[in-house]
Amino acid sequence: MSVQADFQPKIVVFACENSGWLAAEHAAELGLTYPEKVELIKLPCSGKIDVLYFMKALEKTDGTMILACQQENCKFIKGNVRAAQRVKQTQNLLKEIGIEEDRVGIFYLAANMGHKFAEIVQNFYDRIRELGPNPGKVIK
Amino acid sequence: MIIAERKPIDEILEFLSRYQKVLVLGCGGCVTVCLAGGEKEVGILSSELAMARSKEGRPVELVQKTVERQCDFEYLEGIRHLVKEVDAVLSLACGIGIQTCNEAFPDKNTWPGVNTRFLGVNLNVGEWAERCQACGQCILDKTGGICPVARCSKSIFNGPCGGSQNGKCEVSPDTDCAWALIHDRLTRLGQVDSLREIMPLKDWSYSRDGGPRKLVREDLELESGK
Ligand code: SF4
Ligand code: SF4
Repeated sequence: MSVQADFQPKIVVFACENSGWLAAEHAAELGLTYPEKVELIKLPCSGKIDVLYFMKALEKTDGTMILACQQENCKFIKGNVRAAQRVKQTQNLLKEIGIEEDRVGIFYLAANMGHKFAEIVQNFYDRIRELGPNPGKVIK
Repeated sequence: MIIAERKPIDEILEFLSRYQKVLVLGCGGCVTVCLAGGEKEVGILSSELAMARSKEGRPVELVQKTVERQCDFEYLEGIRHLVKEVDAVLSLACGIGIQTCNEAFPDKNTWPGVNTRFLGVNLNVGEWAERCQACGQCILDKTGGICPVARCSKSIFNGPCGGSQNGKCEVSPDTDCAWALIHDRLTRLGQVDSLREIMPLKDWSYSRDGGPRKLVREDLELESGK
């Protein structure tokens, strides 16, 4: 798919405060940057994410993701498993209305992975840029 | 509880295709518990519908509300003003709630957002099973508390039939034979001998065979009728 030269996707990143959020802070300490229109929202655990949060985010953005602790390493044991399940549920909803499933995703990392954080966000951003604007966006 | 399941999205989009403003109405009763039509499902479905319509280039305005119970007229009175403002209602309650809305708001369509499946129990997160068919004359006293009407595929009374195999029903290996369950339960309770008694023909006039049912309890009725 061709990339629209001036398209800057808006993205909401939900981040578990035990991994993704700390990794974002670590990235900042290292002076790593990520695209401007990426909004970070802190959650007490990735298991707090809900299909409704993703859908609300997608009403006004082009993509959304959850940053969770490494698999088998959730502070609350199953939070990241539940989060993955909700990503799948959201993907199913998007699929049934003909919106690309890749607009929602889950990525795993640890608190000390600033570089990994920057890389995940940049790769996701690039993928959404490739997909183009969210055709279902409600609040433009 | 009444178990329901959201209708396919294309069906819902088709119902709503001609409207610009719709009330998505949830119910705080059974459908909240079975995760088909409570406040959260109203939110998720509204998002999905809004996105689908935006994508088509025909945006729709969705008002969201969930009432305590849609099967009680008194709870619907409180949303009359909301119904007045919209072109139509999409109800996520069971068939009873949907009909109550249509009766309470006769000048507007209330469309069904769910398929009402059965009266049942929650076995596991995301798993429900039928338990009762509201036959109107309960015989659980004779069957160890297990319903042959709802749980025997043939609703037979002096079972099992010849298709019962190793506790499973011939209709599907995933279905327990109700009569095997009844036998085992009565054995456990030391009452299996009660199965020697032949059950008489069931009087189906208490069920659907008597036409739509109505229950009147004069002892409870008020003079005003309400
Ligand atoms: S409307 Fe249906 S789902 Fe809602 S409480 Fe009444 S019976 Fe249950
Ligand atoms: S016997 Fe009739 S009322 Fe009793 S559980 Fe079965 S279907 Fe329901």
